Amino acid sequence: MEEYFQLILNGILLGGLYAAVGVGLSMMFGIVKQVNLAHGDLMILASYLCMVLITHLKFLNLWTAVILVVPIMFAVGFLLQKYIMNRVQGMGMEPPLIVAFGLSIIIQNGLMLIFSPDSQSLETPLAIMSLRVTDMFYIPAIYVIDFLTGIALIIFLHLFFKYSYLGWAIRAASDDENTAQLMGIDTRNIYAWAMGIAISSAAVSGILIGATKNFYPHTGPQYLIIAFGVTIIGGVGSMAGTLLGGLVLGLAQLLGGKIFGPGYQLLSGYIILLALLAVRPQGLLSKAGRAD
Amino acid sequence: MSNETILNIDNIKVYYGDLLAVRDISLSIKRGQIVSIIGANGAGKSTILKTISGLLSPRGGTIKFLGEDITGHKPFKTVAKGISMVPEGRHIFPRLTVRENLLIGAYTPKARHQSEKACKKIFSLFPILEERADQLGTNLSGGEQQMLAIGRALMSDPQLILFDEISLGLSPLIIKDIYQKIKDINNEGITVLLVEQDIKRSLKASEWTYVLQEGRVVLQGKPDSLTEVQIRKAYFGA
Amino acid sequence: MDRAGKIRISLLILIIVVLASVSVFGDRYTKMLFMLIFLYMALGQFWNLLGGYSGLVSLGQQIFIGLGGYTLAVTVLNYNFPIWLGVLTGGIVCLVFALIISKAIFRMSGVYFSIGTWVVAESLAIWFSNWEYVEMGQGLFIKPAKLFSVSDIYYLSMIVGIGSVILVYFLLRSKLGLALMAMRDNPGASEVCGVSVFKNKLYCYLISSFGTGIVAGVLYMNIIFIQPNQAFGIDWTVALVFISIIGGIGTIEGPIIGAVVYVLLQQWLSNFSSASMLVLGIIAILIMLILPRGIMGTIQQKLGFEILSPRRYL
Repeated sequence: MEEYFQLILNGILLGGLYAAVGVGLSMMFGIVKQVNLAHGDLMILASYLCMVLITHLKFLNLWTAVILVVPIMFAVGFLLQKYIMNRVQGMGMEPPLIVAFGLSIIIQNGLMLIFSPDSQSLETPLAIMSLRVTDMFYIPAIYVIDFLTGIALIIFLHLFFKYSYLGWAIRAASDDENTAQLMGIDTRNIYAWAMGIAISSAAVSGILIGATKNFYPHTGPQYLIIAFGVTIIGGVGSMAGTLLGGLVLGLAQLLGGKIFGPGYQLLSGYIILLALLAVRPQGLLSKAGRAD
Repeated sequence: MSNETILNIDNIKVYYGDLLAVRDISLSIKRGQIVSIIGANGAGKSTILKTISGLLSPRGGTIKFLGEDITGHKPFKTVAKGISMVPEGRHIFPRLTVRENLLIGAYTPKARHQSEKACKKIFSLFPILEERADQLGTNLSGGEQQMLAIGRALMSDPQLILFDEISLGLSPLIIKDIYQKIKDINNEGITVLLVEQDIKRSLKASEWTYVLQEGRVVLQGKPDSLTEVQIRKAYFGA
Repeated sequence: MDRAGKIRISLLILIIVVLASVSVFGDRYTKMLFMLIFLYMALGQFWNLLGGYSGLVSLGQQIFIGLGGYTLAVTVLNYNFPIWLGVLTGGIVCLVFALIISKAIFRMSGVYFSIGTWVVAESLAIWFSNWEYVEMGQGLFIKPAKLFSVSDIYYLSMIVGIGSVILVYFLLRSKLGLALMAMRDNPGASEVCGVSVFKNKLYCYLISSFGTGIVAGVLYMNIIFIQPNQAFGIDWTVALVFISIIGGIGTIEGPIIGAVVYVLLQQWLSNFSSASMLVLGIIAILIMLILPRGIMGTIQQKLGFEILSPRRYL
């Protein structure tokens, strides 16, 4: 019994991390109606960037490096949207999909060239610390940090969309591009801002992933699928839904791994996702029709 | 009333894809006027408004606003210059509240400083919007949505406001009310250009009318100087 | 048959004769190059049938490459099937599997379909990696395929390569093809005209799955070794998408040109090991930015002609 309690607790904590992984993808999906296939790879790119900064700039530790990584990744996202994605937006479904796909291949293989295919991790003293819950079980401290950061990220984005001019403009542009232009919004520029923010959130989650688990140049797609799962389960563009999606996937993976064996951890998450895609592609919380 | 020309359109041609929707239209509007454009379906009325606001780009001709060439400028530039548009079908942002819909109307940096003040002004013009301020825009009735769309367009503090098919799908009582508000808006010095299917209504409201047929201006003048026969001829070509 | 038709047939026969003679006169390397071109051309045609003509941008064609390959391996190793029967069974298994998953994935459209198919492939990769029957992640060695000479596999590849082009050509000229193109160009209107979008897309998906499974069988006769992460890997679809877009999505010639470019480029880039994929990614993006219709699509648009036009003129 206690064993399952621990598992469920870990699943919930993992869910917070997954919510952070998915929130940027969900946001962009809602705005430009496109899945950024390179989302996971950009995340992992941030993990590597963080690793390089910590190794070369000795005065930085994992948490201070965030201050550098996030703005750099914001710029990457902003420029990517402004100079590449915007040019293929509105040309139908395939071109943006393929450009993102191409970017994903470039990032994966670029990382492999520079860093070799070996597994890496971001070192932090927190990795070996844990919090005592009862005498019987402990929770890794990093899991708690992941969860809290994930929640904080989502609350921050929620407030940003609710109370800032930029947030309104992004929502307006995603509702109705032409009318948003009539309000004086340069929608192309807004998409670049939105992508910058989405990739910043990916960077935060990439650093958390790097501190929690091992990563390789090719781990990106695995997290893309998780991000996509979070988006689908929670409903495109919904911040609260993202959290729900993260929890469902986190629990599904850990419980599935427990019941069917550790090899099937990912598979249980995928099967939940496929079932949901088939039955309710608009998400669990959404009342609207599917957004495609 | 001054005699300054606020908007001058010279010989514009506008295409939808390969389809020529507006052929060599010229028109000019003086500051403080209410001008209407009437014409049958597909005559190119809405196309002109969309071209002024910048949603469409003309392939020939020039558009000057306050003497400055704005031909082919994107909407976000024309709005900043002082042109605002109420689009056909209202287009309220469905996932934004009434208040957010209004505030987004004051997106341009200049208008943003005054957004709270502007919002109060709109609420006094359309009190119903204040009552509904925190509801989603889509929960409003058709008439209320139209008021919201007008209020939103006023938020950017425009000098020229374009109304596209504003009475579409509304009851006569509400239409009358809304036209009264247009008069009020005009009395504050804002120039109005409106496109309308409802000929009588727009002739009554405006000081100058252009009649369009198949993308050309076939008739123009003061509404009371145009006879019914002339207008019918312009509409049906007979 | 009109004159153009006769010319076309004679040209086709000439091409077949020339290509067949490669196996007699060509050296081992040349044969291998042509073989790869044929196989990728066939796989590209079947991806293009979905992505280019049916609006089903699949990121899960590796489902059928893996299933086709594994079926061949298992039937030949465990049940002593002759190779040809193993390949055919592979196609049938793919067809059946496609039919089963279509119940779920056809409820998704657009990008949901793309990712849905990819997730299915990833799930299969995990499943096979944990399945003792197929030696788990270790993989299977298809020993009996070693008996075939390079020339045998060359002819087989040629048959599936040219066969796939002919199949897709006639498919697109059939009623199904007309419906597909109507759907692609205007989904709403064609539905009103009584074209059942769902059924036509399903037929396409089934044909594409069966074809991909068969090609995969021939492919694995050549590779001889099959392993889950490789067989169900996204890299296959990367290649197929690349082939179709560089050649021109939604054209029959597209995958042919794309396959030639891809195989030659890959040979040239193999000198740079993992940089080769990197360059493919860059080329894919550049093509989308500069020639979004690909090589064939751009030629067609500029010159207004199609060599293998599936359209029928009245």
